[in-house]
Amino acid sequence: MKLKSLLLASGILMASTVGAFAADKYAVIMGNMPSANQFWAKVEQGAMAKAAELGVEVTVLGSPGGESDVTGQIALVEDQLSKGIKGLVLAPADFSALNPTIEKALKQGVKIVYIDRPGEVKDISYVGTMNEPAAAMGAQYICDNIPKGSEVAILQGVMSIAPGRDRFKGSHDTLTACGMNIVAEQTAEWDNAKGQAVTENILTAHPNIKALFASNDNMAMGAIEALKGAKMLDKVMVVGFDGNPEAAEAILKGEMAISVAQRPANMGSIGVESVSKLIKGETLPAVVDTGAELVTKENADKFK
Amino acid sequence: MAQASKGTAIAPQNEFQRSLRSRLLEDYGILLVVLTMCIVLAILQPDYFLSAQNVTNIVRQVGMNALLALGLYIVIVTAGIDLSVGSVMALSIMLLAMVDKAGLPWPLVLLVGPAVGTSIGIINGLGLTLLRLPHPFIMTLGTLNAVRGLCNLVSGGQPISGISDEVRFIGIADIPLPFGGEFAVIPVSAILLLVCYAGVAWFMKKVSLGRHIFAIGGNPQAARVAGINVNGVLVFVYAASGFFAGLAALLMAGRTGSGYPNLGIGAELDAIAAVIIGGASFFGGRGSVVGVFAGVLVMGLLRNGLNLMNISAFWQQTLIGVIIIFAVWIDVLRRNSGQRK
Repeated sequence: MKLKSLLLASGILMASTVGAFAADKYAVIMGNMPSANQFWAKVEQGAMAKAAELGVEVTVLGSPGGESDVTGQIALVEDQLSKGIKGLVLAPADFSALNPTIEKALKQGVKIVYIDRPGEVKDISYVGTMNEPAAAMGAQYICDNIPKGSEVAILQGVMSIAPGRDRFKGSHDTLTACGMNIVAEQTAEWDNAKGQAVTENILTAHPNIKALFASNDNMAMGAIEALKGAKMLDKVMVVGFDGNPEAAEAILKGEMAISVAQRPANMGSIGVESVSKLIKGETLPAVVDTGAELVTKENADKFK
Repeated sequence: MAQASKGTAIAPQNEFQRSLRSRLLEDYGILLVVLTMCIVLAILQPDYFLSAQNVTNIVRQVGMNALLALGLYIVIVTAGIDLSVGSVMALSIMLLAMVDKAGLPWPLVLLVGPAVGTSIGIINGLGLTLLRLPHPFIMTLGTLNAVRGLCNLVSGGQPISGISDEVRFIGIADIPLPFGGEFAVIPVSAILLLVCYAGVAWFMKKVSLGRHIFAIGGNPQAARVAGINVNGVLVFVYAASGFFAGLAALLMAGRTGSGYPNLGIGAELDAIAAVIIGGASFFGGRGSVVGVFAGVLVMGLLRNGLNLMNISAFWQQTLIGVIIIFAVWIDVLRRNSGQRK
């Protein structure tokens, strides 16, 4: 009896998989799960919308252990490879640790693009924000609105991945070039609570600070809490990065000046589209810019 | 030699009390769970689960946890704990990547991971015995943090890529089989696992030091009275745990081709979970190598299966949590029924 029902169940399952055979399979492997933050949720939305448009079957997954879970991400890619995917849209958890897995996929004929952050393997296009000019755009706002020579600080992201380094370089170079006095540059590892703690320490050491560039909105939100605690929010301009809904709220309330918005939905949709182009035999430029824009009081409503 | 005979006098008595049936259950009950999981996954994912590619994937994916769990098994048998293994593995991989980049000959680079791991293990052991910190949890919690910090200090938080092919061999190379197509291979890492597991199984059963480890876990006072150098054995135990963490670093250096400071964040908890699922007791003195490997497989199969079915990673965490509780509960029931006899 049991065996019979098992066989029946497996028969039904097999039949149901046969139905889906026609469409090409792609996988979008992100840096974190879509439920972890808005950013990845938007990437997923963009990818799924494009998948429906192109008529391909797309699976969207994120590392179980979050942004730094390299081994979990390797396993995700491997497991998708054994499912016979044709295309892979990947936000590598590490610049180089995914290389062997990526090379294995390439050898199997899988077409790959990087999203959100480039990896080390050559000839794989990067679809995402060009972080350095985007960060420069945000830093320029500080240059334009704060007197030259003012004390400013930078909250860095995780410096072992390219967005962390590039956003730092873009902000640092711009602020230096326009004559600001950078008194602190510290990492808060993209984290809200760490952003708050690091900012508290910066404020203790440098009470005359006039502006703070945070490499993502999470850290900017933490910085705002620290400034509120020190009753200095009206004296310090906070610039964030990502254009998250909570940042948009803060901008509308006047707590944050601006945020540099990435276009995560573009990363998902252009990522899937780029892979489908590769499968058709077309070529891609080395970098496909998904764009950035400033979230200001005027347009913050549409980012909520 | 006198010590050895005393050591054996303690161990077999436990063995004796258990009936053959409960011994089979203890050693092989968890293997039944693994087998059941394989059958269920094969039914749910008939196209993929048993494919050669997926099976070798699983073998590669469990490698790191298998080595860390093996080290922790030895520690947990003494009723100890080693929280530092994830960080130790990360420091090992950074240092081995650095010396490889600096041009050290590859046979020496191979030794760096295990050497770094063993050294920190010895420090853990000395902290416990020499400084007399009240519980290994504290010493290894300290090294968990300190070593992770060092890892970022030596590298500036940056990954180091381009590890040479010779060093990567163990972690990445495959031995092709004469049949079954391009994915029918035996990963070299599988052979390393086999050697390590067989080695530890033999060591714990047949070598007097191994039996002393069991004796300390069963009853440290009795072991001391029996003339066992408890402190010496403990230092050895933590050194062994560090050694396997260093070996895991070598494996991951091959698998990823780079050293990166985020390797193994939280890995200690996975390793502990595998050991506990595999039937080892937190109170020491009990557990088998076969059980540990089965525990590793349970976690690996669960992750692989849920990945294949595209089920959210939150479920993996939830299920692993439930399985830990369930496995230990079964163990409690089993021991209670054993006592009543």
